[in-house]
Amino acid sequence: MITLTLGDAPAVPLEAEVLSPDTIAPLSLEEIRALPVFLGKRQRRVADFFAVDGESGDVVEVHGDLRRVKWIGRGMSRGVLRVRGDAGMHLGSAMTGGSIEVSGDAGDWLGAEMSGGMIRVRGSAGGQVGAAYRGALSGMKDGTIVIDGSAGLEVGMRMKRGTIVVGGPVRDFAGLQMKGGTIVLRSGAELRAGAWMNRGTIISLAPIPLLPTFSYAATYNPTFLRLYARRLATFGCAIPFDERDGAYRRYTGDAAVPGRGEILVWQPRS
Amino acid sequence: MQPRIADTFAEAFDMSAARVVITAQSPRWARIAAESMTGFATSVIGCKVEAGIEVDLTPNETPDGRPGVSVLLFAFDAGGLGQRLVDRVGQSVLTCPTTACFDGLPEAHERVAVGGLLRHFGDRYQSSKFLDGRRYWRIPVMEGEFLVQESFGVQRAIGGGNLLILARDQAAALSAAEAASDAMRSVGVILPFPGGIVRSGSKVGARHYKKMVASTNDAYCPTLRGRADVTSALPDEVNAVLEIVVDGLDREAIERALRAGIGAASRPGVVEITAGNYGGKLGKHHFHLKDLTS
Amino acid sequence: MLRIAGGTVYDPANGVDGIVTDLFVDDGRIVQPAATVAVDRTIDATGMIVMPGGVDVHTHVAGGALNFARGLVPENQRAARKFLHAGDRRAGLGGMTPTTFATGYLYAGMGWTTVNEAAVPILSARHTHEELHDIPLVDKTSLVLMANNEFVLDLLEAGEAERARDVVAWLVWAAKAYGIKAVNPGGVEAWKWGKNANTLHAPIEGYGKVTPAQIIESLAEIADALQLPHPVHLHCNNLGVPGNFETTIETMKVLQGHRAHLAHLQFHAYGGSDWGSMRSESARVAEALITNRNLTADAGAVLFGDAVTITADGPWQHLLYQLTGRKWGNLDVENETGCGIVPYVYKDRNLVNAVQWAVGLELLLLIDDPWRIFLTTDHPNGGCFWRYPEIIQMLMNREFRREEIRKLPEMARQRILLADLDREYTLSEIAIITSAGPARSLGLSRKGHLGAGADADVTIYPAKPDHGFLFSYPRYVLKGGTIVVEEGEVRDVATGREFIVRPACDDAIEDYIRPLFERFYTMSFANYPVEIERLRHPEVVNLPRHP
Repeated sequence: MITLTLGDAPAVPLEAEVLSPDTIAPLSLEEIRALPVFLGKRQRRVADFFAVDGESGDVVEVHGDLRRVKWIGRGMSRGVLRVRGDAGMHLGSAMTGGSIEVSGDAGDWLGAEMSGGMIRVRGSAGGQVGAAYRGALSGMKDGTIVIDGSAGLEVGMRMKRGTIVVGGPVRDFAGLQMKGGTIVLRSGAELRAGAWMNRGTIISLAPIPLLPTFSYAATYNPTFLRLYARRLATFGCAIPFDERDGAYRRYTGDAAVPGRGEILVWQPRS
Repeated sequence: MQPRIADTFAEAFDMSAARVVITAQSPRWARIAAESMTGFATSVIGCKVEAGIEVDLTPNETPDGRPGVSVLLFAFDAGGLGQRLVDRVGQSVLTCPTTACFDGLPEAHERVAVGGLLRHFGDRYQSSKFLDGRRYWRIPVMEGEFLVQESFGVQRAIGGGNLLILARDQAAALSAAEAASDAMRSVGVILPFPGGIVRSGSKVGARHYKKMVASTNDAYCPTLRGRADVTSALPDEVNAVLEIVVDGLDREAIERALRAGIGAASRPGVVEITAGNYGGKLGKHHFHLKDLTS
Repeated sequence: MLRIAGGTVYDPANGVDGIVTDLFVDDGRIVQPAATVAVDRTIDATGMIVMPGGVDVHTHVAGGALNFARGLVPENQRAARKFLHAGDRRAGLGGMTPTTFATGYLYAGMGWTTVNEAAVPILSARHTHEELHDIPLVDKTSLVLMANNEFVLDLLEAGEAERARDVVAWLVWAAKAYGIKAVNPGGVEAWKWGKNANTLHAPIEGYGKVTPAQIIESLAEIADALQLPHPVHLHCNNLGVPGNFETTIETMKVLQGHRAHLAHLQFHAYGGSDWGSMRSESARVAEALITNRNLTADAGAVLFGDAVTITADGPWQHLLYQLTGRKWGNLDVENETGCGIVPYVYKDRNLVNAVQWAVGLELLLLIDDPWRIFLTTDHPNGGCFWRYPEIIQMLMNREFRREEIRKLPEMARQRILLADLDREYTLSEIAIITSAGPARSLGLSRKGHLGAGADADVTIYPAKPDHGFLFSYPRYVLKGGTIVVEEGEVRDVATGREFIVRPACDDAIEDYIRPLFERFYTMSFANYPVEIERLRHPEVVNLPRHP
């Protein structure tokens, strides 16, 4: 395992996409220390900011207040990346495999346009989780993102496949222009969830305000949710599905598109 | 007195097999769907597929955590098997209340479309979810949604393993065959015939009707013993013969089943236990009975 | 003094066709060697090919429309080539709509040293000049849009030809432009009513008499009368439409007796009657161009791959948007013109695109006088300018061209004649279509050649058999005598100048324009003309009074 410990937090954002198992695994400690990072517009070295220790392998741990360190784990395809602290924007952007774990919070654009792998954030995340960058046709194409805390705007915007689970509440436009995949909102959302949704599933375990372009369909216990529940249980996330505990109200939309997406809102048995 | 175990072998054939896991709200409804699905599936000759219930599954053993039943189907080729799956899941599982239907051979490389074709029943109102590299179709139905996996695995398997129970009378034959049938049902095999037992074991072709594919196995018919134009294989004391046919996913599963069957059928009234073969010329899987009694 | 020693020089404007000779550079110009002046640097160009720097006669690289396009396709920017800030190089992005500094590095890196921004609305000319200034390493000219300007159209409607001429003169100087651009005459005006101008001799929407033909002829007369160094630069009506070759040939008839330059001729040489029957009519158009000796044209060739279409031709862009169903930007420029932007992908499996690809090459091969047809892709409409070397390779190598043709769908091959064309361009002809010809057409007498007195814009290529590669990576590029590319490294050490014209103009015309302007425009008249101080390196060509 290689450990990198941030000294002083940088005054301006530090772009550090080299901090990923793919880049680090084949290198010696000296080579890792010499890797380029960008402080604002200036190119510097990893060693200018991080103490580097440990033995080569594909487990990388990064310690410190990394709120201004961006692009950690960008495009990674294997290995384990652990952030002990808060992480900056674009964590795990475009990753295709491996896993990332954050003990603190993550910034905006967590797992943007990822297509595989697993991200777990114990704290909260910002906006645009698993989203498309501006102009791109799709957001995340597969993979799993689990956030224990809350998240910001446009969670899962234009996502095509994969699963996002958020423990705390999310802000506006969750699932904006969604094309597929599943978003689980354990504590509900603010406004306009599912706006312009084309396909996909938003599951809310708390009541949420719905757009007028979503229509109520039925109250039932869909079987497929049991598959999800079992899978999410392996990450320690429980979602209800049993008819003895309650049922889901299904809303279809967004009729403005017209979309064939669904929002399932849990209704506990009183 | 223990029956004689004939020094012969059962001759079995290459087949393709699929496993279907049916779940439902209760074991009862899973069974109903399974029994409907595996009806009229005794022999590929007349039914195009051989199918049967393999085992019951507890909620822990099924993908969706509900009670279930696993079913095995056997046919001569993957394409034919795929079509049979679509027909039978479509007519017997889709139609049955509370069921869902999953692939039981996830490791198999060869795949056939099942949900991928049944989805059209949804008339474009269906949707799918992709989870862990597999696609599941959700077909809207009057009762709610029918969940069926898109593709099912097909693997090479073996069909036609058999035992012939030669008994003193019909009652003894049936009693032994029932006991064997109960003992043989296990993971990896099915007994496609009614109750697992064939009362009308056949031979390939016919002596007197040119176009018949199969006809009564006159060498083992007790009422034909003594005729000049029949060479009977039956010892004098035998007055009834019953056959058990077993299809299995692999050799080990069939061997286990045959061994259990021989043991259970070895009871008073049974004179000899033997097996059917074609001189080793048609099927490449041979199960020597002597190897199964040691 | 700098000496370029022992290179194989191609200077077709001065009759030099592959002669091994030295060139001398002093004070930014090509000079005859003088015994009194010492040579302080020699570039050993032995075995290398020396040509005048490339001149792009039609491209879209700066201004409001370009910037709008940059904003419309952020996903392209993310995928674009990145120019990192370093030492003497500014940061930038390449791709289909390069940012300003990157535009200069990409052009110079390819050996091009002069660039003509082909479409500038007067209202946003200030923005264009700001961006042009930020394009390093190349000299620039720009053309101001005039064929849908309501002041001009109103005067043409009223039959006031002289006053129209004076207004045009005033507007050209207000925009600080080098020449006149006409795009879909009458059509962009009609687009303000959601319509187009498809018929050359029918009055345009909102007018009783003025026809596209009349606009074309009037602007050509005006350009001649004002003695603009470059003739009216015309994007014909019915761009992109199957069967439009007839409009093009009719337009050439309207232009008889006047100079004119036809832009991106490829987009105007289609036969057939709809997308399903579209075919090449390059032979008819080529023949008509050859016959009308007063005309030049640029190819506007298409390359397979991504592009971004940016033109003032609002109605055409709306049609393209409806065909693609994806993004579309539309800008209206009050009283003057319009703009449409649609990202597009040319695919070799698409029948229409395959025909388009062939037509550009056919025109270049069929028009046998390289002084009349110039190499462009109407960047970024047909393809990116930094892919010009791919076209050069196809012009020079018949076998490579034929291999590319084999990739097209069978049905496409029946709609084109490219497979039957054997011609292979010589290096001298390439020097003409990429440099000498456009320079002559633009009236830039110190560009496009290597005679004494010429600006020392010189490109030195390694000699390699694969001509596409050769033209992609010049070994050296000189801009005004300064080495700006050496061993493939681009150095931002030279600013380009902007050539602008000052037409002779009766100052009283301002008294005519001002009240109209104040009545119909949303900005104040004092802010309208671009102040000369806004251009930091202008070179003004004062034009004489018309006879």
